[in-house]
Amino acid sequence: METLYTVLQSLSEWLLGVIAWLIDWTRLGFLSGIADWVETEPVVTFLTTLLVAAIYFITLFMFGLCFIWMERKFMGRFMDRRGTQVGVLGFFQNFADGIKTMLKEHIIPKAADKGLFEMASFAIIATSAMLLGCIPLSPQFYVINVDLALLLGIAIFSFAPFGILIGGWSSNNKFSLIGGMRAAAQLIALEIPILMVVVSVVVMTGSLSFIGIVGWQQDNIWLAFPLFIGLITFFVAAIGESERVPFDLPEAEAELVEGWQTEYGGFRWGLIMLSDYLRAYIMCALVTMLFLGGWDGPDFVWAEIWYLAKTFIVFFFFIWVRVAMVRIRTDQILTLGWRRLLPLSIVNLLIAIALKTAEVF
Amino acid sequence: MRIEDMRYTKADHLRATGYIFKSMKVTFKNLVRATVNRPCTILYPWEKLVYPDNYRGRPGIVLDKCIACARCVKICPNQCIEMVPIETPELGKVKRPQINVARCMMCGYCAEECPTNAMMVTPEFELAAYNRADMMFDPIKLQHPHKPGYEVNYSFALISEMKGGAAKTYAKNDPEMHDTIVLDGVKCISCQRCAKTCPTGSIEMAETGELNPKTKKPIKWPKFDNAKCVVCEQCVEVCPKDALSIKEVL
Amino acid sequence: MSEEMWINMGPQHPMTHGLWNLRVRVDGETMTAAEPIVGYLHRGWEKMVENRTYPQIIPLADRLCYGSSFTWSHLYCLAAERVFNIEVPERAQYIRTACIEMQRISSHLMWLAAVGTDLGSYTILLYGMRERELFLDLMVELCGARMTYNYVRIGGVRNDTPPDFERNVTRVLDTFEPRIRDLEALCDECETFRMRTIDIGKINAADAMNLGLTGPSMRASGIDLDLRRHDPYEIYDELDFDVCTHTDGDCYARYRVRMDEMRESVKIIRQCLEKMPKGPTRVKVPRCPPKGTAVARVEDPRGESLMYMVSDGTDKPYRLKVRSPNYVNLSASPAMLLGNKISDVPAIMGVLDMCIGETDR
Repeated sequence: METLYTVLQSLSEWLLGVIAWLIDWTRLGFLSGIADWVETEPVVTFLTTLLVAAIYFITLFMFGLCFIWMERKFMGRFMDRRGTQVGVLGFFQNFADGIKTMLKEHIIPKAADKGLFEMASFAIIATSAMLLGCIPLSPQFYVINVDLALLLGIAIFSFAPFGILIGGWSSNNKFSLIGGMRAAAQLIALEIPILMVVVSVVVMTGSLSFIGIVGWQQDNIWLAFPLFIGLITFFVAAIGESERVPFDLPEAEAELVEGWQTEYGGFRWGLIMLSDYLRAYIMCALVTMLFLGGWDGPDFVWAEIWYLAKTFIVFFFFIWVRVAMVRIRTDQILTLGWRRLLPLSIVNLLIAIALKTAEVF
Repeated sequence: MRIEDMRYTKADHLRATGYIFKSMKVTFKNLVRATVNRPCTILYPWEKLVYPDNYRGRPGIVLDKCIACARCVKICPNQCIEMVPIETPELGKVKRPQINVARCMMCGYCAEECPTNAMMVTPEFELAAYNRADMMFDPIKLQHPHKPGYEVNYSFALISEMKGGAAKTYAKNDPEMHDTIVLDGVKCISCQRCAKTCPTGSIEMAETGELNPKTKKPIKWPKFDNAKCVVCEQCVEVCPKDALSIKEVL
Repeated sequence: MSEEMWINMGPQHPMTHGLWNLRVRVDGETMTAAEPIVGYLHRGWEKMVENRTYPQIIPLADRLCYGSSFTWSHLYCLAAERVFNIEVPERAQYIRTACIEMQRISSHLMWLAAVGTDLGSYTILLYGMRERELFLDLMVELCGARMTYNYVRIGGVRNDTPPDFERNVTRVLDTFEPRIRDLEALCDECETFRMRTIDIGKINAADAMNLGLTGPSMRASGIDLDLRRHDPYEIYDELDFDVCTHTDGDCYARYRVRMDEMRESVKIIRQCLEKMPKGPTRVKVPRCPPKGTAVARVEDPRGESLMYMVSDGTDKPYRLKVRSPNYVNLSASPAMLLGNKISDVPAIMGVLDMCIGETDR
């Protein structure tokens, strides 16, 4: 897999070569300039990048579907039932759901603020999809690797509360309004601990790019061991950030029908649900990357496999926590965020600084 | 001490033994069990629960046994049973119950009341249909193979005998113990409607030995054969002069 | 959001468990007023039964409450027996008592399942329903129906027990008793469940009495009143069982009372099976009762339910008044709701065990 880029590069070179040859073959003199241009370096790079991005997104959307499938099946077994039954091991249920949501009518409430209502859903879905680009699967398999990838990811991640708040507000529905307010309060309350933990990781590793962080862990030690408190804090906050039980109050269906998503329907709702799972995947990926050594592992399989295996194990814990607990209340979640997780994350940061100043690593 | 001031007294076995680990342990145990063995769900259209014979689905009927006494019609709380005339090669022209299953609430009263156990409860519960007419089960459609478990039988004791300790029990429709029809002879006009309507043929018009003073013909009053009677009360209802009534055996 | 707003929870709302409407005025997330509105499921039951003969009413009484149909048909038969002035054979009384307690367990299990969904845990729902299935299977074996039994008759029960009934009941109880611990592990020993229920919806003993609360909700406030003990019907005065009370008066105490009651019910069923005599199970009753009135009250799983019957000597009751425990408990709900958060609505109302079938009648 380490030659994915090069393989695709030669593929696109070959493709463009064929195109150039075809253009030459037409023997139209005025096209010869285009044929030359097609084979130049920038075009090849562009096409290669496009191909990589497409493959990457398709792969990750499939992972998102795998997450949904995994949650359904595991929750089924946890609860002594079977989970989905459509297709091979129930995997095609996702596609059935997708087709169903696609075929549904798109309804906008009459009193809703139409522009904002539409925009909010796109903001959430687009930011979730954008986030996928920031997360590498391995040192060779990634879309972008900027030096500040971690900061960029967190920044994009924290844009979603605005989308949720706007969506909840513009639906012009009391339930969705309360849900939107809850979502904003909760996400902001949990964002701070997450950032503090991330800072401690950065302090330890001295890098803001995922590849650098995982590289440091490969060289020294998985951060889960020195920063265990940080791992726990991050895990709890990650569950809250991806709005899952026990922290799914924005869409607490018992009291708030479906929370801020109450008025969304059809394909937009389907995409919002998918983006929920993508965000869960991203949170799992962050836990893996920051604490569990990312793609670090014995060399007998690809690095990507290690990375994905760890991600799925983290997600298994997400599911496990989900089945074992009941939803908690807004004030309790805020208390948890500000009074428990924030001090814990600061303690974690102090530990990281102490370890760094003592030059243990 | 006011209630608000009291804290919940935590018994030992209720104390939280570590925040959520106990519940996580229970769910994990279940995960392992449901993965190794099979989960407890039943895959409905392919698998079905095994129900005993007395499971109360829709009512079913054995047409030969039915005597058209219409006791099921009377007891049905939803009034969804109706006697309709049918014609079959074996039975000829007869009346048999028709059930509007869409309105039926599967209480099983019709089978319980049936004196000949012609009506019974069948374990058939998949009754969905595309229109309401399909839910109207006429006597032919209502037929169902007979099985002893489908019949509803019970035994009862009499209150008068209960006083003396352990009482004797009687089977349903014991001819010795069921109610009897009594005739108030003064009111009878010998119209014979009761004899004509009786589904079991237990009413016979017998001469009383008196002569009608006007026509000089013998006066006939109905005579009841209790062994045959099923207390369907049709004669009571049909009597134009209210001369018949039921004497309950208690 | 300094302005207060009214929120209609119902008649179509996940919290309602039926058709009723809870209007709450919220200031932010805190409730400042609450107003339960019933009447969406009114069938005119009391008028309807005036046109039915005495035996015909039994299956209708079953349908007052899908959760505990046996207690309702039993209550009706108890009232009718008092009008008819007949005595029930002893064996029938034992069978009835055992069935009432099985019904109590299955009703409480369904209540637990509903509370589980209200609080956001489907695991509790499915475990509760799984355990309930054991008792439904017993009832199927006994009378052929899973929910609306139509098993009690005026003057006894419909049929004698099937041959293996005692063995099967013992087996089910042996299976069920340890499983209560599993359910408690999911609820009691899960911190989030305690967070959601402790100190929520508090009501003190004086208020509980003044508002007419009955059943587990009242016993949770420390009032030791159980009609099985204090106004015994059937054979409860011969049995040895405890009345479960707690002093706290909050949702958790109500939950505890019900869990303890399940254990007591298991005890009662075992005693019934032990002491059950041989003999007739049903006496023949006259068609028309003498003129007169009768009152019967029993301890429903939800509280004290009462039927007042007036007979005018015909084969149909002249009047049948039903006192449903839930109707009164529901009207006491504002006292519990006020001052709590909007997230507590499902917890409080769920723990009250709403059943609209009997509330509206």
